[in-house]
Amino acid sequence: MFFYYLRLAGLSYKRNPILSTLMVLAVAVGIGAYMVVFTLNYTMGGDPVPHKSAQLFHVQLDNGNPDRDGDAPDQLTYMDAMALQEAGLAYRQTASSKLSVIVEPANPEIRPFSVIGRGAYADFFPMFDVPFLYGQGWGSDADQNVEQVVVLSRETNDRLFGGADSVGETVVLAGLNFQVSGVLDYWDPVPKFYDVNNGPFDTGEALYIPWRHTVEQELPRTGNTNCWKPLDGTGMEAFLNSECVWIQYWVELRTAAEEEDYLNFLNAYTDEQRELGRFQRPRNNNLFDVQEWMIEQEVLPDETRILAVLAALLLAVCLLNTIGLLLAKFLGKSAEIGARQALGAHKGSLFIQHVIEAGFIGLLASASWAQADQDYGVLIISRERLEVATSCEIGIYMQDQLVGRLFQEESRSFNLPAGDLSVRLRVLPGQMPGCSPGIEAQNNTRLHINAGDVLKYRIASGPQGMYLKKADLNY
Amino acid sequence: MLKMDKISKVFRTELVETHALSDFTLTVNEGEFVTITGPSGCGKTTFLNIAGLLETYTSGTYLLDGVDVTELGDFQRAKLRNEKIGFIFQSFNLMPDLNLFDNVDVPLRYRGMKAAERKQRVEQALESVGLLGRKKYLPAQLSGGQQQRVAIARALVGQPRFLLADEPTGNLDSNTAHGVMDLLHEINAQGTTIIMVTHDQELAEKSQRNIHILDGRIHEESSAGVLAESSTAAVA
Repeated sequence: MFFYYLRLAGLSYKRNPILSTLMVLAVAVGIGAYMVVFTLNYTMGGDPVPHKSAQLFHVQLDNGNPDRDGDAPDQLTYMDAMALQEAGLAYRQTASSKLSVIVEPANPEIRPFSVIGRGAYADFFPMFDVPFLYGQGWGSDADQNVEQVVVLSRETNDRLFGGADSVGETVVLAGLNFQVSGVLDYWDPVPKFYDVNNGPFDTGEALYIPWRHTVEQELPRTGNTNCWKPLDGTGMEAFLNSECVWIQYWVELRTAAEEEDYLNFLNAYTDEQRELGRFQRPRNNNLFDVQEWMIEQEVLPDETRILAVLAALLLAVCLLNTIGLLLAKFLGKSAEIGARQALGAHKGSLFIQHVIEAGFIGLLASASWAQADQDYGVLIISRERLEVATSCEIGIYMQDQLVGRLFQEESRSFNLPAGDLSVRLRVLPGQMPGCSPGIEAQNNTRLHINAGDVLKYRIASGPQGMYLKKADLNY
Repeated sequence: MLKMDKISKVFRTELVETHALSDFTLTVNEGEFVTITGPSGCGKTTFLNIAGLLETYTSGTYLLDGVDVTELGDFQRAKLRNEKIGFIFQSFNLMPDLNLFDNVDVPLRYRGMKAAERKQRVEQALESVGLLGRKKYLPAQLSGGQQQRVAIARALVGQPRFLLADEPTGNLDSNTAHGVMDLLHEINAQGTTIIMVTHDQELAEKSQRNIHILDGRIHEESSAGVLAESSTAAVA
């Protein structure tokens, strides 16, 4: 009977096309508005590092003005950041800050250009699971010796080296020769959780250098600097010894015990500093994990939440209007309903018939939005079940380009244009302890995606290496 | 056999209580052609709705083919209605979006019959009213008489024991009305029991029995054209 009712719904649509189209439009506008805001909220409020967001903590120390109430500063002073860095008590830790630097390309045809970079410590890359296309980050020796090494973003590498493997090449930054140690793959966490104070939705930096260069070379700093107390003097020295906050500080703590120990350490540190005349406010040191930090910093602005409520209300109004129109339509069919009842329909079947008719209207309204994506298919690659005997992350290459990385229990979705597709898989080195590239046959799985397809594949392994196997959508 | 015993139907609002039927007792035997007459508002339609299981009643007993329908739920009543009763309406009540085949097919759909059997039965029913050749037509493409023939085919397609007709010729001209009545008599001759509400005294006199209702009670009964005074009590 379902298809019979569906056919009746179609005929009913044709009988009153204007009224029916009006209903479809009303629901479509409501759904459209709501989905736009919902997507915005989802993107802005999503977890940028879901697999370890609970292990990454933003450090907050309250060295604020004791004469004024207020929240603890969001960033750290140079003195505090260096003290924490030298203590090195966390599993991983990094101070980092934005900087502006002039890049002088080796190619004389490319004019020097200014970029926003980031000074960071070696732990920055493994802490945040930053993906590398070529090479890797620098070691902790480079931090201590302030070596002139640089990690380029993929875009910068494309600009300077045409996308070639530039590891070992030299890049001139601020007049100094820096050697490329690695090139990042696409990496643009949204929100940019590691520096929400300076634009949570800004794009990633063009390059990364050991943090000490920021001070040693006195590179121009960018981003927020907040000082509640005048500097004792002028120049870099005075600035570094001031109560100005400008450094983001993150630590990786693997267990609750490590978190507790580290907080105790922070408290002991600020207590000690208090005795030296600093930190005159009541003790207020905090460790925020990624999600807590996003909430604390109100990364999702109140306006967006209000917009979400308004969009939901609009959807409700649209649905109420549609219900009204549907009721009017159904009342006009009372003679038909009476006849159907006389011919053997019970109330339940009449109810189902009209529910399906209402659902048909809703489906058309939804389909009008889905139509926007009709040129694309969706490919889901899943590693949600532990079927591949490696804890290493697996790189997904489409048309021989790295397009995603999968840890255990993860999956990735791709919106792809219709057509043929070549997918290869390989174990990626570096991000997990003990993960080195092995001897592996990189099987090429050829797929064809049609517009509107939603295909799901799982990663399987056999004697010939890893390959993709078709899976049910509920897999 | 249709047997009503002291059926009463009361419509209540906050202010008014209307007795549509009072102590209505009637038995219609297998194969009879019974007409129901009476002035507007006398309770004819209420009787037909109760007889057709479209409405419940306030008190009394109603046996349809030996089944006491008093305690039946909506689903069981619908099933019984679908299997035992065919309806013909004054205004035909055909579904305007469905062609003739699909209109006649409706009762069989609710019966859950398989497509092949449905097709055979629907074509047979349409053929019996002379409209098989127009099975793809929409109702609006037919005359009033043809539409009523389709409605008759729809009522008969499930091979019901009872045919309830509510002024089936009310919207037709006299020639067409006679054609429809001839068809109904033919159907009755084949064994289907017919209960027909009409205002037309001439048609009533042609039936085997005529029940005249007044103020929700049986006022008169005539058999085979002979009027007989009747009490308001039971008519067997």
